[in-house]
Amino acid sequence: MSVMQNNSEKSKWYLPGVLGGLSVTMKHMVTNLLNRKKMMTLNYPEEKYDYSPRFKGNHVLTVKKDGSLRCTACMLCATNCPAECIKIVAAEHNDPAVEKFPIAYEIDILRCVFCGFCEEACPVDAIRLGPEWQTPAVNGGQFIYDINHLAYRPNLKGGIQTHVDDEERHKQGI
Amino acid sequence: MPKCTINGKEVEVKEGSSIIEAMQVSGDRIAHYCWHPGLSVAGVCRLCVVEIEGNPRVQIACNTMVTEGMKINNTSEKVKDTVKWGLDFHLINHPLDCPICDQAGECGLQDQYMEYGKYDPEMAEAKVKKHKVVDLGPTVVLDSERCILCSRCVRFTEEVSKTNELGLFNRGDRTEIGTHDGMPLDNNYSLNTVDICPVGALTSKDFRFRQRVWYLKDGDSVCNGCSTGCNIKVYYNKEGLFRIKPVYNEKVNGHWMCDSGRNAYKFVNREARLLKGVARGVEMAPGAAAKNANEVLKNTAGDAIALVLTAQYTLEEYEAIIKTFVEEFKTKKVFFWINNKETFDSFDGLLSRGDKNPNTKGLLKVMEKHGITATWNDLSAGLANGSIKTVVVAGPENQVVFPEYAERLKELSKAQNLIWMQSGKNEALSALTGNVWIIPMKTFVEKDGTFINYSGLEQKIKKVTTVVSEALTLTEAALLLAGKNLAMPMTAPFMPTNQRPDQVELEHRKKNEFVFRRGSL
Repeated sequence: MSVMQNNSEKSKWYLPGVLGGLSVTMKHMVTNLLNRKKMMTLNYPEEKYDYSPRFKGNHVLTVKKDGSLRCTACMLCATNCPAECIKIVAAEHNDPAVEKFPIAYEIDILRCVFCGFCEEACPVDAIRLGPEWQTPAVNGGQFIYDINHLAYRPNLKGGIQTHVDDEERHKQGI
Repeated sequence: MPKCTINGKEVEVKEGSSIIEAMQVSGDRIAHYCWHPGLSVAGVCRLCVVEIEGNPRVQIACNTMVTEGMKINNTSEKVKDTVKWGLDFHLINHPLDCPICDQAGECGLQDQYMEYGKYDPEMAEAKVKKHKVVDLGPTVVLDSERCILCSRCVRFTEEVSKTNELGLFNRGDRTEIGTHDGMPLDNNYSLNTVDICPVGALTSKDFRFRQRVWYLKDGDSVCNGCSTGCNIKVYYNKEGLFRIKPVYNEKVNGHWMCDSGRNAYKFVNREARLLKGVARGVEMAPGAAAKNANEVLKNTAGDAIALVLTAQYTLEEYEAIIKTFVEEFKTKKVFFWINNKETFDSFDGLLSRGDKNPNTKGLLKVMEKHGITATWNDLSAGLANGSIKTVVVAGPENQVVFPEYAERLKELSKAQNLIWMQSGKNEALSALTGNVWIIPMKTFVEKDGTFINYSGLEQKIKKVTTVVSEALTLTEAALLLAGKNLAMPMTAPFMPTNQRPDQVELEHRKKNEFVFRRGSL
């Protein structure tokens, strides 16, 4: 690696540079003091930055119109997952139209790499990576997201519906 | 022996064999659903088409016999196009259930589509809706939408099980498989219909939704369910065993096996197993418990020791334990515990036998070799008058087929010291107190050995997986009971070169736990 050294006479005059930098700082300080609404920083826990809706954050399990889970426990997400962080237990549903559904769906969020392969593998749009990006927890157990958290956590307000609808598909004869 | 040419290769086949059989011989791949080597030819799927030289039209291979000098080809564009369109017709009403369907991963339609299909569907009509989740009987569930009407299951109940429960009803695209009125699919061979179903129309209630097939590894073994000794594949992963399927063996079971044999995986799984040994009420490792039991055997006179064996262990194990008792402990009191004596010789005419032990012949052979003539009455008398003080029992692996287990346990526990070796949990056994040793054993999938079936055929089994690693085989237990130590089999000096003698070749590495069947989607 080569290092450029500026040994000219001009480089010995450091004070104008220092003062120039300081003036930028002072300018921001004065504007922030006089006009707090235009301040560039956020007070983090109270104020949060919203990423674009395409952002790949925490997982969401989508629900049907009646609020039940869309997931059919086909395990394609778990198969496709490079981090092997998804664990699903399937069971037979009472409703013959549903047939198969997950009784347990767990994501070990500490292993997850947020690659989005699960989303891509899902044939029924049941799992998505949502815009939420905060994953704090107090202990290890809270980093394993269970089915309730994934589908019905409070900020999902009763679950997220998908545009895919079985009944409509069946009516069209698909 | 007619000779024919298949895709340019000359093949000689048996007299009267069909083209599809000739293709099995030559190793060429051919699309087919309805043809099954164990069933009659129906010719309903129209997929196994081939072009025969001199014949303007394509023919189905399953119902055309090979004649001398026939030139057959199934790689031409004409054949490929025919198969593609045939497949399109099969898929007209087939639902896209793959996420729910249990057959996904080992489905004929998926395979054929990937090999011969891959087209844009040109059907604009709505799919015909049929019945979903039809309860056919105690073991099988039907989804008639997925059914492609190959009639394999119907032919199976007609020709093999001869119970005739299933039939094809209605006409045209409303045809459905179903059971005849008031006749549920309830026979001891019903799960074979699930095996031969090329799509996911028939699924096993026992296996349904429990595991996706691509998470399972398989290993060959011999069924432990009865003395027929059907060749099987056990499907397992780190959570345990999930199902058993038959493997073709002309001499033993053909293509089939019975439903009760398929339950043989249940007593192998961890939740059904003894995990810790017990010595006089103290829990310890199985090996330690066996070593502990040596104390009492050492201090008992030879005449006062009895060995009770069930016919559920391997030939090598019997040899080891009987040899130990005859030579180390100087006793010839070895008894054969026969379960369900009355039905022992019965046979249902197909596969299932009344003798529910895999190795009765093997046990009798070893007993005869060591000149053992003791009968159960001797044991009862000895226990009653107190001349037999220490009883060692190699109990059943499969407890379901030992209905009189509790009575025998009661009888044997009259002995002063009871050393009981068995693989499965049993409440009555664990409740015993006093001078009782319980030693967990390995099951048939966890050890190598030989089973001799009813006809005297010796079949080797290989270790498939380990469920309870600490459990002992009867050979190991015999060594420990005799006060010896377990020796690690060391055939060669450790790593003489950089090359292992069992170096895994690439072909075998495909069966590696971490890559096996993953990524094939």
